[in-house]
Amino acid sequence: MKRAPLFVLAGTAAGLVGMLSFHTRPLTGTALASPASQTASGSHGQSPGTGQTGATARKSRSAGSASVPAGPAGMRSAVGATEQYGYGQLAVKVSVRGNRITDVTVPVIQVAEQYSQQLASQAIPMLRSEVLSTQTARINGVSGATYTSEAYAASLQAALDKLHVK
Amino acid sequence: MATDTPAVSHAEAVMGTVVSFSVVPGSQPAQSAARAIGSACAALHRADRVFSTWDPQSPVSRLRRGAATLGELPAEVAQVLDLCEEARRASGGWFDPWSIPGGVDPTGLVKGWAVEQALDILRAAGMAAAMVNGGGDIAVFGAPEPGQSWRIGIRHPWRADALAAVIEVTTAVATSGSYERGLHLVNPFTGQPSSQAASATVTGPSLAFADAFATALAVGGDAVLAVLAGLDGYEGYLIRPDGGEADTGGIAFG
Repeated sequence: MKRAPLFVLAGTAAGLVGMLSFHTRPLTGTALASPASQTASGSHGQSPGTGQTGATARKSRSAGSASVPAGPAGMRSAVGATEQYGYGQLAVKVSVRGNRITDVTVPVIQVAEQYSQQLASQAIPMLRSEVLSTQTARINGVSGATYTSEAYAASLQAALDKLHVK
Repeated sequence: MATDTPAVSHAEAVMGTVVSFSVVPGSQPAQSAARAIGSACAALHRADRVFSTWDPQSPVSRLRRGAATLGELPAEVAQVLDLCEEARRASGGWFDPWSIPGGVDPTGLVKGWAVEQALDILRAAGMAAAMVNGGGDIAVFGAPEPGQSWRIGIRHPWRADALAAVIEVTTAVATSGSYERGLHLVNPFTGQPSSQAASATVTGPSLAFADAFATALAVGGDAVLAVLAGLDGYEGYLIRPDGGEADTGGIAFG
């Protein structure tokens, strides 16, 4: 993953709408997506054994190229506003080098209950790895449940097509 | 490689979705690539006309309501139903177009089959490599760039803008889930709507079967993952409704 190709950045720009506005306002992030997606992300990525023959639990994936040291030349970072996300408050810090996100962290967390703390501690690492992986993945196509011709416009595959169709 | 024709992309609205093409012509001229994509799209539109369950006058609609017999319909209807029967047996009954209320419905296999036909047309036209993505069900051949494999993102079931995984594909991958079109899958053993997966992905040599098995995996979850583990050439990757993940071990995660 030497360089994030343009199409991945475009996919990310679409992907980060509602979550981070670093693209247009580099020094003010905004907040996370919907609370629903956060709770969903919270349970995502846990890998219990299946108990089925022949099926193996997936190894959890690493957060990708997240370990970029802070502060080198050309690095910028921004902390978004503190936002309510259903189980408490948090803010997102994004580090950018050039056009590329190098790290996403969550420096401000206030959660309502013990339960939420648990949930948040699961949700946040996944959010981080997903943002990074969407950006750094050099992909040719996207497989998913069949979208309608109307829903295609909002799909990542459409973002790829837009960049390649002349 | 300086003389190679640059890759060509195309997006075609057909079969109720959009089919995306990514074609590497190699030494073939750009006009040949455009012609081959045109022929492939014509095949997709023909499959749409024959197999549409929305059009009451389509051959499959007439078959479903008993207004025509198999012998009176285009030969590909019988061919696809044979593949359905094969997929039904291989999936242990979890994929069963005959269990669907309103008559036999091959929809769970036919899009993969049609996309495979489209890819075969590109291959026969001498293209060096190609990817055809039928609304999320993908068939490929060749290498997108020399020495590279096709890298396919698996859409995150709860976020349209994120990936749950990236896998390397040499033949076909299909994904099923209820996040795009609601709970439309039926458990053949109960006749009730069912979903045991947030996302169900199957890879393998044939997209027709991968499509059918992905449908089965979405309906049956872990039970079908165990069936897939015993099938030669096919692999499954399941994201459960609670977000837990499991796979059959043979998928090349990138």
